[in-house]
Amino acid sequence: MSTTMDAAASGGSEMTRTALWRRLSRDRVAATASVVLIVVVLAAVFAPWVAPFDPYAINLLNVMAPPGGNNLLGTDSNGRDILSRVIFGTRNTLMLGLVGVVFGGLIGGVMGILAAFYKRLDGWIMRIVDVLLAFPAILIGLAVAAIAGAGLGAVVIALVLSTVPDVARVTRGAAIGVMEQEFIEAGRALGVSDFTLIWRYLTLNCISTIFVFLSLRFGQIILIGSALSFLGMGAQPPTAELGMMAAQGRDFLFMAPHIATVPSMAIFAIVLCANLLGDAVRDVLDPRLQQ
Amino acid sequence: MGRQIVHRLVISFPALLGVLFLCFCLLQVVPADPAMIIAGPDAKQETIDAIRLELGLDRPILVQFFEYILRVLQGDLGRSIISNKAVSEELLQTIGPTVELMIGGLLIAIPLGITLGTLAAVKRGTLTDRAIMGFSVAGVSMPIFFIGLVLIQYVGFKWNMLPFTGRTGPVWDGGLPSLILPCLTLGSVLIGPIARLTRTAVLEVLGADFVRTARAKGLREYHVIVGHALRNAMIPVVTLIGLQAAFLLGGAVVTETMFSWPGVGRLAVGAIISADFPTAQGAIMILALAFLSINLIVDVLYVYLDPRMQR
Repeated sequence: MSTTMDAAASGGSEMTRTALWRRLSRDRVAATASVVLIVVVLAAVFAPWVAPFDPYAINLLNVMAPPGGNNLLGTDSNGRDILSRVIFGTRNTLMLGLVGVVFGGLIGGVMGILAAFYKRLDGWIMRIVDVLLAFPAILIGLAVAAIAGAGLGAVVIALVLSTVPDVARVTRGAAIGVMEQEFIEAGRALGVSDFTLIWRYLTLNCISTIFVFLSLRFGQIILIGSALSFLGMGAQPPTAELGMMAAQGRDFLFMAPHIATVPSMAIFAIVLCANLLGDAVRDVLDPRLQQ
Repeated sequence: MGRQIVHRLVISFPALLGVLFLCFCLLQVVPADPAMIIAGPDAKQETIDAIRLELGLDRPILVQFFEYILRVLQGDLGRSIISNKAVSEELLQTIGPTVELMIGGLLIAIPLGITLGTLAAVKRGTLTDRAIMGFSVAGVSMPIFFIGLVLIQYVGFKWNMLPFTGRTGPVWDGGLPSLILPCLTLGSVLIGPIARLTRTAVLEVLGADFVRTARAKGLREYHVIVGHALRNAMIPVVTLIGLQAAFLLGGAVVTETMFSWPGVGRLAVGAIISADFPTAQGAIMILALAFLSINLIVDVLYVYLDPRMQR
């Protein structure tokens, strides 16, 4: 009896998964975007082996070399190889986005689920959400950097804090819909514990919505993170981070435009692929989220 | 209508308190004890205690918070550590340029975004639609500083067409040229999202009965689209443009920093980098208040545009 109930509760995730892959592979734009993203992620993960030079090796005899030649994408004002720095910088930038999405998603998801399941908590949780929503991400970043000092940590906190309220709202919306389903009532009647109800019956049925929302947010989070780094609130030199590299290149814009342009284009490429893929995933998994 | 707005004001009250509390916390983290700084290095413990008593630093944190709110209400935000000018005075000088920049950006982004989005919806499925949508996805994915860098390098430096550092004055006093590039930068990041939202909203309305009726009446297509479809699509578009307020604000901070635009965002960034806590606190507060008020204005507009909400 309870196995059938469970099957109903965590209904058909197997089916949507195969459907997802089939439809994504048929969508040429999404397929290209995912291939590019996979290459970028692999390059970032295996950065020490992929990068042609040491990203921190200074060579004052070879500063601001234009792209082409020995250094494929040129060198920066300290003679460091830009391609290697972009590869290592992508690592840090992707990490920022990932940490923001994972922790923001976890905290926000738990808040949304709890708000939907326990009516008593709903008002309190949503009030916290409202206050958090009053701060745009960049402002949170500025405030955290002012309190704790600029650094990658400040950016991470800002990204998580700005992801939490949106995820909480979306999750709560989805979870309230699930709570109205009959199998929740049935589970209660069977005497299933609150924990099982929350995890098996409620959370597993909201996960695709949360996942879609987070995949749509990923690109935006990277943009905010790199903007904060660009402003000097994030990674500090000599750490390679794409937004900060663009900011450093700004001082040499007229002599050697590639120093700022190459990292900016790398951010653009990553975010573009993430957005295209996010749109495709949404169309397959959760067309209702379309706005 | 009035009740809706009052309700909205009541909702934003906790958020307002949150903003104030955060700014208050910012002042608490000043690395050194203010009483010790005032007393000087060789002061006796009694002197320090006396100053602390005078400043109210010995009282409970909630009382201090309450007093902070009272001071803010009187416009007293403290003095800048760097320039020793009153923070409120510095803020007053920077608010104008920031508002100017934001309005300029919106004046570029809203008409362009709505036109492109409507065009894409009307020509749904054609090459035009795909090109516009491709353009707007690219726009949504573009770091704002990239656009700024390209504009500075080409329009500003290579072609020497427009100034790209600082502000030469108010718009009515020959300041327009220096305003164009920052506004273009800020506006360009908003075109993509607005076009996407408008397209969805117009598509939804195009299938509605009243559009079919308008066509059946024999109205010209232009009137059907602009007078009937677009007008109704504006309701979701206004709300969603309101949701872009965060974009607008964040974009303004980056744009001001890039173009050395003397606005609140650049003041905040500069103050944080030089650890000027009172100024940082004031600037962040003003930006947060601006964000709250933009949302409030959008809600009021929403009620105004949608007569169903006025009941």
